[in-house]
Amino acid sequence: MEKNYILFPASSYGIKLEKLLKAKNIKYTISPTPRSLSKSCGISIMYNKTDEKTIKSIVDENTIEIIGFYTID
Amino acid sequence: MADYREMWENLNMDLEKHDVLCEALPEMFGETFLNQENRPDGMNYFNYVTAEIHGARIMELEKHRKEGGKVVGAFCVFVPDEIILAADAISVGLCSGSQFWIEDGEKVLPRNLCPLIKALTGAKVSSTCPYFQSCDILVGETTCDGKKKVWEILNEYTPVHVMELPQMKREENYEMWMNEIKLFMDKIEELTGNKITVEKLKEAIELNNEKRRALKRLYDLRKNKPSPISGLDSLLISQIAFSDEPRRFTEKVNELCDELEEKVKTNTSTNKKRIMVTGTPMALPNWKLHSIVEELNAEIVVEETCTGTRYFENEVSTNGDTMEELIKNMADRYLDINCACFTPNKGRVEDILRYAEEYDVDGVIYYNLSFCHTYAVEYNNVEKSLRDNNIPVLMIETDYSEEDSGQIKTRVEAFLEMI
Repeated sequence: MEKNYILFPASSYGIKLEKLLKAKNIKYTISPTPRSLSKSCGISIMYNKTDEKTIKSIVDENTIEIIGFYTID
Repeated sequence: MADYREMWENLNMDLEKHDVLCEALPEMFGETFLNQENRPDGMNYFNYVTAEIHGARIMELEKHRKEGGKVVGAFCVFVPDEIILAADAISVGLCSGSQFWIEDGEKVLPRNLCPLIKALTGAKVSSTCPYFQSCDILVGETTCDGKKKVWEILNEYTPVHVMELPQMKREENYEMWMNEIKLFMDKIEELTGNKITVEKLKEAIELNNEKRRALKRLYDLRKNKPSPISGLDSLLISQIAFSDEPRRFTEKVNELCDELEEKVKTNTSTNKKRIMVTGTPMALPNWKLHSIVEELNAEIVVEETCTGTRYFENEVSTNGDTMEELIKNMADRYLDINCACFTPNKGRVEDILRYAEEYDVDGVIYYNLSFCHTYAVEYNNVEKSLRDNNIPVLMIETDYSEEDSGQIKTRVEAFLEMI
């Protein structure tokens, strides 16, 4: 099963995005960053692929620093 | 976790070894917790805490110490947190739940010893636990033989203040325990340079009581059929209770309970067997038994353990205006904990029977860490009482390794089919 992650340069950005997602009722899960993706920063945000566009605009509008959006099997 | 390398270096950690420890967490946590269905949104805070377990909280401890504050490490529910809080110090429960630390523990301890004790020793000896590295002092207690002697070894690394926990609960034992609490107070005042006043102590007692109340509220919600939260998630919360910032933790648990109260209204019944776990504690990140049981057709609805009901049951009374009265209140509440290190320990059997009824369990799993004598001997009494009350019980004696997981799964499967 595919899993989609947003990675951050520091957890504080993840927490910032979390607040915004919560406010817009977008489903997300905070997860330890999978080792295969990166050895840095404790948390990532798992999200549903269908919400990707919306989340991308939230990230842009609020200038949240992210490393990127990733999908792993 | 690479962001924190400098901080870990300053804590004199073995970075290479620590990397190996950290490697395992994301996958293990993901597999165990994030694949659960219908998980409450409120668990995201606890996901965060776990993902950041050697990061965010350690940063908070570092900041506190930079500002002149002290950090006190503890291992056991008998240590009165209130004293630590009242002196404006931070109390942290210390790592002792991973197989990773056993090898280093066995370098200085005999093999035939409780894995929890071997692991906590290994965590210190290997310099791979930032909580240990952040402590100004450790508090030990004379609960069991293993613990009693291990403080001698740990004292070579970090100063240990040992509290002599009585072995019985007679009048004279309560007097002795009150005196131990006074000695502990003196020690913490000396360490922090802060005087513990009646007002500060009352505040700390109330803060801790609020935390206990929140956990009780969470556990009470598990009495619903089905429980709106898994045993795994409840266990994780109980484990995090030992070292998270108390006000924030209490707030987050209450938020989660608000969500669960709503969830209960729309929950549909399942045919999962309701299981109580009773016995020895499960320290972070020991999720072994819960993950085996909950992968099968069962839900763990209550834990009569130190990482369960024994942590939060009963509050410390705030009645009284003198230090003597408050110390007596603490002594009363803490000595009321029904740990098998006491003799006799009839209160524990009463608790187990009461919980079996309140949580409407189908069966009980008696969880005994390997080589733990006190709990193993108590099994005899507990088993008899459960049998007399027609409550099926399965005894599982195990450690942290994966070697016997398959065997345990088979035995639990058979047990679930029978009950």
